[in-house]
Amino acid sequence: MMRRWAKILGRALAAAAWLVAAPAIAQDSAASDTVKTDNVSARLVSERIALVPGETAWLALHLTIRPGWHTYWLNPGDAGEKTEIAWTLPPGFAAGAIQWPAPQRLLEPANIAIYGYTGTATHLVAVSVPADARPGETVTLAAEARWLVCEKICLPEEGKFRLTLPVQASGSVAPVEGRWADIFDSARAALPKPSPWPATFALSGKTLTLRVEGAALDSARIESMEFFPNEPGSITPAARQSVRHDAKGFTLTLEAASRAGTLKAFAGVLVVKERLDSGTVTQAFALAAMPGAAQAAEGSLSLGLALLMALAGGIILNLMPCVFPVLSMKALSFAAHGGGGRMGRHGLAYATGVLALFAAIGAALIAFKGMGAEIGWGFQLQEPVFVMLMAYLMFVIGLNFSGLFEIGGAFSGLGGKLAGREGLSGSFFTGALAAVVATPCTAPFMAAAVGYAVAQPAPAAMAVVLALGLGMALPFVALSYSPALLRRLPKPGPWMERFRQFLAFPMYATAAWLAWVLSLQAGDGALLAALAGAILIAFGLWAWSAARNAAPRGRRIAAAFAVLALAGAGALVVWAERGTPARDTAAADARWAAFDPAKLEALRREGRPVFVNFTAAWCVTCIVNEKIVLKNDAVWAAIKKKGIVAMKADWTRRDPAITRALAALGRSGVPVYALYPPGAGTPALLPQILTESIVLTEFAAFPDRPAGQRAGQ
Amino acid sequence: MLKLLTTAMVAVAFAAPTVSGPAFAAGPDLGKPAPDFAAVDTNGKPVRLSDLKGKLVVLEWSNHQCPYVRKHYGAGNMQKTQGLAQAMGVTWITIISSAPGEQGHVNAAEANKLTVERGAKPSTVVLDPEGRIGRLYAARVTPHMFIIGTDGTLLYKGGIDSIRSSRQSDIAQAKNYVVSALGELKAGKQIADADTIAYGCTIHYKDGS
Repeated sequence: MMRRWAKILGRALAAAAWLVAAPAIAQDSAASDTVKTDNVSARLVSERIALVPGETAWLALHLTIRPGWHTYWLNPGDAGEKTEIAWTLPPGFAAGAIQWPAPQRLLEPANIAIYGYTGTATHLVAVSVPADARPGETVTLAAEARWLVCEKICLPEEGKFRLTLPVQASGSVAPVEGRWADIFDSARAALPKPSPWPATFALSGKTLTLRVEGAALDSARIESMEFFPNEPGSITPAARQSVRHDAKGFTLTLEAASRAGTLKAFAGVLVVKERLDSGTVTQAFALAAMPGAAQAAEGSLSLGLALLMALAGGIILNLMPCVFPVLSMKALSFAAHGGGGRMGRHGLAYATGVLALFAAIGAALIAFKGMGAEIGWGFQLQEPVFVMLMAYLMFVIGLNFSGLFEIGGAFSGLGGKLAGREGLSGSFFTGALAAVVATPCTAPFMAAAVGYAVAQPAPAAMAVVLALGLGMALPFVALSYSPALLRRLPKPGPWMERFRQFLAFPMYATAAWLAWVLSLQAGDGALLAALAGAILIAFGLWAWSAARNAAPRGRRIAAAFAVLALAGAGALVVWAERGTPARDTAAADARWAAFDPAKLEALRREGRPVFVNFTAAWCVTCIVNEKIVLKNDAVWAAIKKKGIVAMKADWTRRDPAITRALAALGRSGVPVYALYPPGAGTPALLPQILTESIVLTEFAAFPDRPAGQRAGQ
Repeated sequence: MLKLLTTAMVAVAFAAPTVSGPAFAAGPDLGKPAPDFAAVDTNGKPVRLSDLKGKLVVLEWSNHQCPYVRKHYGAGNMQKTQGLAQAMGVTWITIISSAPGEQGHVNAAEANKLTVERGAKPSTVVLDPEGRIGRLYAARVTPHMFIIGTDGTLLYKGGIDSIRSSRQSDIAQAKNYVVSALGELKAGKQIADADTIAYGCTIHYKDGS
């Protein structure tokens, strides 16, 4: 009830503000008269109070829309119509197209959605002034604008505008001040910026996937992501858009509409809401995706077909290089038993083990999703610790197959006593283990299958994950129930030992692959740690194996060695995790020095101001600031002129030195732009959203550095 | 070797097609049977789509207060299109899906009065205040147009013409998709623009149904 009244009150206030807004502004030389229709109050405004021959003048059609009503974007969505401006200009003048601010999506009943604006909408237009315009003359720019404004019902409205401006010789023409200047500022801020990332799209049935590369964003900080296509009829505006992040970028899954098949390119605006220390920031990017095939991972299949696919996928898992050896040994142990009715129970126990593990993974996936994380199957593999532990596990299984050591107990099905008796629990654990060892080999494979599951409601997601597990267990269950199949397996014999030794090599290969993945994630230091850890493990297991056969005294020494070596391998995991990945040096900008706290202090003592750009590859706002502001020539000219040292603190991977520097500034996240004055003064913090003028104003506080001293920057 | 292994795995990954959620509310597909519906028209006569087999059927969603509907009725464009359809023996069903209390909602008497006032020539007018037929066809706007073939398959869905505006003066330049589709059907040709973008006002459906 309270909320409802608050809403009504809020609306009433907004309505009152709307009523008084326009008339309160006095006659203004850079703005047309206000056109007031039933639902919109509109003006045509110029950014500057005069026109300069040969230059571009920026004008804006500014609409103040009645509360609860909306006007439309370039692509109006399911209904409605975009705002249009027809110009009547003196000879030689030319008006460009409307620069559309990023729209909002407004949902209506019955699965209808439109793209448009509420509150205010500013339509920027560039007008080119001919070089032969004569200074001293006045020029009238006339426009006839039409807009459709809707609440529940729609009304086409229109207005005629005239703007009379003097022509002034080049030089300094003052911009308009106050309210109108603010309108131009916020209109520019709302324009989509060119996307810093390449994109491709693919159509498959009723699914249109938009793949954005090179934007490994921090999904936990992305509040929402939404794509608005320029072309009507390309996607269903009301349909949910799901995002999947991975190490190399992200994929948006959209519902294709009737005209998606005719798209040559898929252009539109991507609106990203990112959580920063200072609150949520909205960025809009203009994106033009080219057709691409590789990412057409999602087709439009029913749940039934998805389950079938998952089942088939699960069966294929058995052939994966890391799974196949484990299963072969298990199968041979069955053969040694000679089959029979009891074997069926083992097959079921094995299947239960596989399914239990898959269920656990499915539950984790659903739980993470419930917590709002946008994750895919590969999420575990993004953690270097997990990758390294899996590499160790593969290596250990390989060593076991090679005969370096034997395991007793529950895992006996894995190792030595092939023909020996084993309990049902042994079969259960073999199943679980097979599912565990399957994960690294299959992450890329499952990413596609589980990608579907993640986008589904919990029961469907779980069903797909379990179908995958069932598929994996199926060949084994079939084997255990069919004496005919079992009889076809080769007879046990000494050859089995050699076969087992051979199967160690796929395990080593998998371990090597994981080590390579690790080196990409955490750098060559981590690779070295993994290799050293592998040697320690081999040594530890050998010592342990030796201890079993030694006299009591020797046994203690060997056991101590084993424990030490294994502990060392564990410590290396922790150490490797803190490594940094090899940075893309080609993309690095040599003008930025790497962040170094000691160097920072030294420079300040020398009397140099230092500008530190705390950034990360996964932070949208950071990238936008760099692309739009920090790479500008004007900024670098000022840096040079003032003798400022520019440092970049790249926090893409956790870095304790940078974390401490951020904490010292009272921040816990990026972006942070800190300007350290010479000496020991408090650093100035720039806003998290930069503009060129903000940066230049801050830099202007320092005296120019004498020209002779600039070179050594 | 490692690269080979990775490549092989990635290849397997993409060889397995996966899937997306069920498409929802996308409406009927072209070339498939149009959803059947039964209703009582504004003169109390029953109308059932499946009874109209053997005839071409045009469905027109309307809301007489919508600026886009007014554009086409105001300029006589919709009446002209209806006349042309009538001459071809087409059954033209005008459907009004506005919910009670919403713009465009009318009762049977008002609907019949509107037909006379506007000089409209539909074969029949059907009221759909619950939005059942509208949702069945995923009709989004007024005017939204559908053409159903003599065998009951959907042949055309989309707008009345090609220029998305509420200006009557644009009608002359626009391509009237319904007129050209009917012409092509008459000539035994394929419909060139069978799937177009419908523009107009959103249909004011009853909430939540």
